[in-house]
Amino acid sequence: GTTRNVDMSRSESDLTINIKKATNAEETAPKRKHVRSCIVYTWDHKSSTSFWTGMKVQPIMADEVQTFKALITIHKVIQEGHINTLKEAQAHVGWIESLGRGMIGDGLRGYGPLIKEYIHFLRAKLQFHRHHPEFNGLFEYKEYISLKSVNDPNEGYETVSDLMTLQDQIDSFQKLVFAHFRHGVNNECRISSLVPLVQESYGIYRFVTNMLRAMHRTTGDDEALSPLRERYNGQHHRLVRFYYECSNLRYLTSLITIPDLPQDPPSLLSEDDAPALP
Amino acid sequence: MSKVIRSVKNVTKGYSNTQVKVRNATSNDAWGPTGAEMSEIARMTFDTSQDFFEIMDMLDKRLNDKGKNWRHVLKALKVLDYCLHEGSEHVVVWAKDNIYIVKTLREFQYIDEEGRDQGLNIRVAARELTALLLDDERLRNERKDRKSWKNRVAGIEDH
Repeated sequence: GTTRNVDMSRSESDLTINIKKATNAEETAPKRKHVRSCIVYTWDHKSSTSFWTGMKVQPIMADEVQTFKALITIHKVIQEGHINTLKEAQAHVGWIESLGRGMIGDGLRGYGPLIKEYIHFLRAKLQFHRHHPEFNGLFEYKEYISLKSVNDPNEGYETVSDLMTLQDQIDSFQKLVFAHFRHGVNNECRISSLVPLVQESYGIYRFVTNMLRAMHRTTGDDEALSPLRERYNGQHHRLVRFYYECSNLRYLTSLITIPDLPQDPPSLLSEDDAPALP
Repeated sequence: MSKVIRSVKNVTKGYSNTQVKVRNATSNDAWGPTGAEMSEIARMTFDTSQDFFEIMDMLDKRLNDKGKNWRHVLKALKVLDYCLHEGSEHVVVWAKDNIYIVKTLREFQYIDEEGRDQGLNIRVAARELTALLLDDERLRNERKDRKSWKNRVAGIEDH
């Protein structure tokens, strides 16, 4: 085969170290190199079992920063890890929920509400993926999915609707993150939670745009689709604002390309090409 | 100095001739890889399967190196890009099977002691290479016609 030459005996202990470092108590972003190692591990082993085991032995509930960093790490691994990660994560929803139980009020450094909202969002995301296993963690565009949904307009309608609900949840979460920035301190840890949210919201946006265009083309029933169009337009404006606010955060713009959306929503009725990838 | 240490390591660690070539092309020196180095490595991917795996293993090691060795990572991306165009078809299969190695480098971070963002070039290179690996038709065309990609994989002059 052409798989990588991985020292399987060493990688397990390395993984534990990487999880520990990604979720340490320093109020910074989870270090990318450690998160990346967790992601690569799930691909090398086509499994995330050890990732979850390793996560559960860390004392992440003892400290609000550690809890928040663990949630970011979990989100990134679910997004970018082997597709089995998304399936296997379903068994750990209860444990993810338990991470919020130790939090009383805002917490000393104000992460309480962010932790609660992150848990709420991850639960919604995992629920979406349970109902729609054809999507990967980042909603990267795959033509066949939009085609499949177009063949069954009812299924397509429901899928778009569910995607939009998830998009709304990303929007409330990002607003909360911005509202919890603190003056006079480095907000890197909070800002780093916006990275996966920008990527995920854009994946969903592209998908929804493509699917709605295809549905308009094949059903020709503009009236039946008008509730989705209205909702789409509203989400477009909120995304423009979200990305605009992100574009003012140097830490974010140095790390990822913030999508550059047009001010007005693109027409869903025309044959225009979908927005290009950033 | 680093050159001396590298050649000592090449002997003490028992690296093969093929591995030494890849190590030199992806070293911490502030120049390279040169076009000649890359074209030789690409040509060697057509040799025995042992040569092929030695090249890919070494590139793999370099791609997964730590931040301090960001030049290893950047140069390995350049060599891989070159080999995807001029090397054997096995390189294409290997890179597609292991695309997550390149994909996850799109957020590579390293700020050096002087506060310079040395990760930027790696993030850009990883983004370009990921896009190429996801586009079969483009890769096939570029493997046929080297003019279209030549400027991208030209040797790194100076860091």
